[in-house]
Amino acid sequence: MSLLPVALSKPRVRQVAAGIVVLAVLLAVPSLLSPFHVFTAARILIFAVFAMALNLVFGFGGLPSLGHAAFFGVGGYTVAIGLTRWGWGFWTSLVVAIVLGLVVGALMGLLTIRTEGIYLLLLTLAFAQSLWALAFEQVQFTRGDNGISGITRDTIPFLSGDYYTFVLIVGLLLVGVMWLWTRSPVGRALVGARESKSRMEALGYEVWRYRVGAFALSGAVSAIAGLLLVYLQGIASPELLHWPLSAEVIVICIVGGAGTLFGPALGAVVVVGLEVYSSAYTERWNVVLGALYILTMLVLRDGLTGLPARLRRLRRARAETDAAADEPARAPEKPATGVRL
Amino acid sequence: MIWVEHVVSGLSFGFLLFLIASGLTLIFGLMGLLNLSHGAFYLVAAYLMLELLDLELNYWLALVVTVVVVAAVGMLIERLLLHRFVNQVLPQIVVTVGLALIMADLILARYGGHPVLPPRPPGLSGTVQIAGGYFPTIRLAMIVIGLLVAVGMWLLMSRTRVGAMVRAAVDDEAIARSVGIPVSRLFVGVFGLGIGLTALAGVLGGAFSGLSPGVDFRMLLLSVIVVVLGGLGSLKGALVASLLVGLVNQFGIVLFPTLAQFALFVPVALFMAFRPRGFFGRVGLA
Repeated sequence: MSLLPVALSKPRVRQVAAGIVVLAVLLAVPSLLSPFHVFTAARILIFAVFAMALNLVFGFGGLPSLGHAAFFGVGGYTVAIGLTRWGWGFWTSLVVAIVLGLVVGALMGLLTIRTEGIYLLLLTLAFAQSLWALAFEQVQFTRGDNGISGITRDTIPFLSGDYYTFVLIVGLLLVGVMWLWTRSPVGRALVGARESKSRMEALGYEVWRYRVGAFALSGAVSAIAGLLLVYLQGIASPELLHWPLSAEVIVICIVGGAGTLFGPALGAVVVVGLEVYSSAYTERWNVVLGALYILTMLVLRDGLTGLPARLRRLRRARAETDAAADEPARAPEKPATGVRL
Repeated sequence: MIWVEHVVSGLSFGFLLFLIASGLTLIFGLMGLLNLSHGAFYLVAAYLMLELLDLELNYWLALVVTVVVVAAVGMLIERLLLHRFVNQVLPQIVVTVGLALIMADLILARYGGHPVLPPRPPGLSGTVQIAGGYFPTIRLAMIVIGLLVAVGMWLLMSRTRVGAMVRAAVDDEAIARSVGIPVSRLFVGVFGLGIGLTALAGVLGGAFSGLSPGVDFRMLLLSVIVVVLGGLGSLKGALVASLLVGLVNQFGIVLFPTLAQFALFVPVALFMAFRPRGFFGRVGLA
């Protein structure tokens, strides 16, 4: 028996310590690195939040959405159009982005209730592409392919000089909300539905409500991420809504480990980092990105967070072949994330 | 008469989409593989054709070489990479998007971002006057070629031994394997056929709608819409849906140019929400 109370058990202490170290490093970024690297770090943070939001439906819900750029773009264009047309400040833009994210998210959730797997993927894609087409073609509102530029950060309420830290604080708040959701009965029920929809329905859960709710929350968080990115780069263009972006966040989730809360954040460090730094060295960074996509599916399907478990499995398999066949067969270990890709 | 011209335009674009989408839907029906790099092969073929024409090769010979080479590259990629991901929806999507990114970026590196209008096939460059309307010959030729391909595919699938084997493998892969049908070889063959048709589409489509970066994604998305509307895996569905999308696309551009793509995607999304398996898709295919 351990003398420590459960709340202070060893793994918990280790987790808290790791969290404090990561937080300290994140806070130290602006004072340690050059502006370019701080800009990159802010971009990574934003994509980490975006990917974690997708992961709510994709990893935890088992619903592969290829349309999350829709929410991201809705948030981004809220700032761009609101600020340049009507002079909206930060708070107005934030509230409108959250409301639109919730509404569009719930709408996508409702539309996709009847679908699963590839049909869900294609339906979310068509949904997002219709918003992209709107941004691309409604030139009088969005200036089409040129995008809306000249977005300033004057109305950021605090830390307007240190936008990275502002993004960090907003991001931590959002991560807190998502963490609470994954631990709540609502989040658990969605994971249950991922594992067995029919069983959850037999238990009396109305699965579709949880799915729509997850899409709404995911949409709102993604919209805030889009808003943060547009403030960061000062321009909103149809790229924000385009489907390569939807594919990229899926890859971010998988690289880090879909179905774990912090896996996608790790994935964002790898994918966005690679994207930014390889584009500094070569114009052909799309080739690098494409190669990363293929390699990920070939060797990293459980993601980085699933890597230890995968290595353990490999080691055990080797040990078992060494120890010959006299040992009884062990039940295969489940993949770390529980998501069937 | 102007409306007849638009109908011909829409139909010819529809048959162009059919060339791309028929391969896409066949590959999906057989292998459970949604190949999102299909559009990139379209672009690769179109630019390869330009290279061959620069070498002063005969147009029709160059066309055959292009189709064969691109199809062979596709078969190689299927054999080396994609067959690992048969029936695994998400990994395929990610891998084929990766392939598409690489191919599109390499094309951009080699040819730059300028739009190009490849030469039209000899003898098909003018217009034909029928009953007071002027029709570009190549668009009429596209309709004829599309019809020939549709009939050819139908004959191949319903009247030949290979077609019967493909249908058997679509119905039940495990049983097909167990009675000795070489399913893996069929996969390579059907993939090659699909990519070859896309290569043909790239050469002909490039000649009447032009080439530029982004065309690959645009054609891919339209063909995915066709495949989804028609029902994943259904050739008949692909034919009906490609003509429908071709016409809607044409009239959308003519009637409300600032909403053309929006007006295409919204009905598709709504249709899919209420009838996910499309016009002729089978229940429980995916």
